[in-house]
Amino acid sequence: MHIEEHQDVINACRFCFMCRHLDPVGNVTFREADTPRGRALVIDSIRMNPECLKNADFIDALYRSALSAANRYHCVSHYDETGLVLAARQDVVQAGLAPENVKTLAHALEDVAFTVKGKGDVLYYGENPKLYPGCKTISGKDPGKALEVLGFVSESRKVFAKFKKAVAESKCKTLVVAEPSAYDFLKGKLSGVKVVHCTEYLLPPKAKAGRTRKACYLESDFLKNYDGNMAAPRELLKSYGYALEPFGTNGEESYSVGEGAVVYDELNPALCQKLCSRVYGLAGDAKGALFITASRYVRDTLKKYNAKIEVLSVEDAIARRNA
Amino acid sequence: MITPKNYLYEMVRSELTWVVGDDYVQTNDADKLGHSIDYYWVPECWHDRGEKPTPPDFVVHPANAKEVSEILKIANTHNIPVIPWGGGSGSQGGALPIYGGIVLDMKRMNKVLNIDPVSMTVTAEVGINAQHLEWAVEKAGFSTMHFPASIACATLGGFIAHRGTGVLSTKYGKIEDMIMSLEVVTPTGEIINTLPVPRHASGPSLTELFLGSEGTLGVVTKATMKIHPIPEARKFHAFLFKTMHDAMVAGSKIMTSRLHPCAIRLYDETETAKLVKRVLGIDRQGAYLVFGFDGPEKIVDLQLEEACAICRKGEHEDLGTEAGQNWWDNRYKFFYPPYMFHMPQAFGTLDTVATFSNIENVYWAMKKAVNENFPQATFIGHFSHWYDWGCMLYARFIIDNPPQDANEAVALYNRIWDMAIRAAIKEGGVINEHHGVGLKLGRMMRELYGPAFKVLESVKKTLDPNNIMNPGKMGFQGKGV
Repeated sequence: MHIEEHQDVINACRFCFMCRHLDPVGNVTFREADTPRGRALVIDSIRMNPECLKNADFIDALYRSALSAANRYHCVSHYDETGLVLAARQDVVQAGLAPENVKTLAHALEDVAFTVKGKGDVLYYGENPKLYPGCKTISGKDPGKALEVLGFVSESRKVFAKFKKAVAESKCKTLVVAEPSAYDFLKGKLSGVKVVHCTEYLLPPKAKAGRTRKACYLESDFLKNYDGNMAAPRELLKSYGYALEPFGTNGEESYSVGEGAVVYDELNPALCQKLCSRVYGLAGDAKGALFITASRYVRDTLKKYNAKIEVLSVEDAIARRNA
Repeated sequence: MITPKNYLYEMVRSELTWVVGDDYVQTNDADKLGHSIDYYWVPECWHDRGEKPTPPDFVVHPANAKEVSEILKIANTHNIPVIPWGGGSGSQGGALPIYGGIVLDMKRMNKVLNIDPVSMTVTAEVGINAQHLEWAVEKAGFSTMHFPASIACATLGGFIAHRGTGVLSTKYGKIEDMIMSLEVVTPTGEIINTLPVPRHASGPSLTELFLGSEGTLGVVTKATMKIHPIPEARKFHAFLFKTMHDAMVAGSKIMTSRLHPCAIRLYDETETAKLVKRVLGIDRQGAYLVFGFDGPEKIVDLQLEEACAICRKGEHEDLGTEAGQNWWDNRYKFFYPPYMFHMPQAFGTLDTVATFSNIENVYWAMKKAVNENFPQATFIGHFSHWYDWGCMLYARFIIDNPPQDANEAVALYNRIWDMAIRAAIKEGGVINEHHGVGLKLGRMMRELYGPAFKVLESVKKTLDPNNIMNPGKMGFQGKGV
C-alpha cells in the first residue's frame, strides 16, 4: 500500500495533537476524525489491518480532508500528513473502493481537452488573457491535479499527458499559470518549459499604483503552505496600491475553503459551506472590506454561498487597477 | 449495557439527535476511534500493539449549556456514562470512555462571548481551543498569559478540568488563579453559575469545587478568566550549573527573594545532556537553568540583573540572554515529534510539586525508586513551575524497549507509577501538579487524601446520584465491567 511509504508520518501524527487547531475541517465539524491525528489513526488502523480499507467511515474521513497543508507548514518538523492522506486515497482508488460521488467526479474530470490559441513566446493558462498581451493562451479544464488529489493517479497522468502535448505544440518555453493548484501541479513537470505563477510574471507592475485601497488577502493553500509562502502575490498587490490587512485572528489558519482539495466544493458541498460560513463569520467585523485571493476556486466558492461578500482574484484586482 | 445491537441504542441515539441535531451525534468508526485514544500512554500502547481501546457509543457535540443539560438528563434516565472531552490531549486518561457511553465533545462550544477591557477579563465557552482563545484575546490587545505546551490542542475546559498550567505560571498563575467564575451544568442537569469574583467572604468557593474535578462533578460550559496587557518587554537569561542542587539553590533564592519572574525552568544533568542538547543545541555537562521576566522594560532589566547576580554567586557558566531567548522561542518544540518521546518507547511524566524544603528529596526519592527497581528505565527531570514556596518537578521515565505484549507493557508501566509516585508522596509531594489524576492516578487518591477522600466521595454522590459523570476517574467509583 502507498501509505506504507509514509510510515514516519503515521508514527509522528497518530498520537500528536500539536496542529489540530489548524485543521479547517476539524474547526467546523469539531470531529476528532477531521484532525491530522484522527486521520493518522484511521490510516494506521488500515496499515495494521488492510481489511479496514473497506470501512466506509474511514474512507469518508479521508475524503473530508481539505488538504490545506496548514498543519504541515506549521508543524515544527513539517511531517507530511497531507501526503499521507493522498497516499491513502490512492490506495482506496486502487482497491476499487472509491465512493460513488468521488468516482462520478473523477470521470467528469477525465473528459478534458486543451486548445492553444494566439501568438507569442509565452503561454498563459488562466481566465484573464487580456492581462497578458502578446501571449498565447491554453484553455481547458484542470490539468490533472484534481484527479491526483482524489486518488486517481493514473487517470491524472493521462490528463496531464494531453496538457503536456498541447504545451509542446505551442513551442512556448514559458508557461504562466494563474490557478495556484494548477501551478503547484505543473511546476517542475514540464521539462524545457519554465512554469511561473501569474503574479511572478506580472511583477514588476505595468501601471501606476493610484489611490490606495484597503484589502484582506486570503492566503492560498498552495502558494503559502505547499509552495514556500510565495511573496509575489502580496508584492504585486502592494505595488498596485492595495494596502493589505490581516484577516481573522492569526496568520496560520487556512481560510481557503477547501482550495487544497481542488474540487472540495463539488465533493463535500455541505462541509464547504461550513468552511465558508466560518470565513464570513470572521469577516463580520470587516464589513465593506475587499477580499483578494490568488485562487479562482476560493473566489467563486466564497461568492457562491454569500453573494454580498466582495471577493476578487489577484488577476481581477490587477485588471481593475489597469482599467 | 448499550450496544448497537440493542434497540435501546437507537432509542438513545434518537433522543440525543433530537437535542443537538443529526450533524452532532456521531456513531461512526472513525470518530469513535479518535475518541478511544487520548494522550495517555496506555491507549496509545494498545493501539500500537493492534489492540482496540474501548470506544464510546456516541460522540455528541452540544451547542450550549441547555443542550448539555438535556443530554445529562437523558443519560440519567438511561444510566449511561457521560465523559466530557475537550481537546483529548490529556495525559492521564481522564477523557477516555472506559465504559463506553456518551462522549460529550465540547469543541462546538467555542465562542468568545465578551472581552472586558476595563476589568481585563474574557468570557468564553470552554470548548474553545486555547490557541484560538489566545489569538482572539491578542487581537483585542491583551493576552491570557496561559501558554502551556498543549496550547494548540487543548481547550479552555480541559485546563479547568485538570488544573492546567502554562509556561508563565510563576507570574500569572495556574488556571485556578486565572479563572474568575464558571457556568456549570450539574450531573442532574441544573445550570448554575459560581460567584462572579474569586476573592470574597461569601461562603466556600464553588468555583474551586469544580476546578480540577475532571468532569466527575458536572460539565463546565462557560468561564470568565483574567487577561493581561501585552508586556512591553520579556527577557530571558540562562545559566549552566555544575549540579542540579547548585541550580536549585539559585532558583529557589530567586523566588524567596520575592523577585517576580514569569518563568523559571531547571533541567537536571541527564535532561540537559539529552533533551536540552537535542532541542536547543546546547552541548554541555551540568544543569541548565533559564528564567525570564516581563513587564515594563526598566523593571524587567532591574529584576533580571538581580536574578543574574544571585546565579553568579554560585559555581556557574553564564550562557547569556541568547541561550535564554532560544529556550523561549523553542519552548513548544520539545513536545513535537520527533523530539517528544514516542512509540515504541514507554514513557510517563511523573509530575509532582512540593515545598523548596522537600522538592530535592522528592526528586531523589523518585529517581531512586525508578533506577533501583527498573534498570531498563531512564529517569530525567526538570523543575518547571515555580512558586513562592516551592516548585513543580516534571520527572519522566523512558523505557526504549518495553515488552511487546500490551498487557505486560502496561503492567510494567503501572508498576513504575506505583513506586515513583508513592515515593514522592512519602517525601511531601502530591500525586500531580498540572496534568491531573484521571484514570492513571485515581488509585492513589485515597492514600493521598486519607480520611478527607470521603468528603470528596460524599460531594460526588450528592451531586451525581447515578454516577453518570466520568465514572471510574479520580479514584471515584466506576460502573463495573
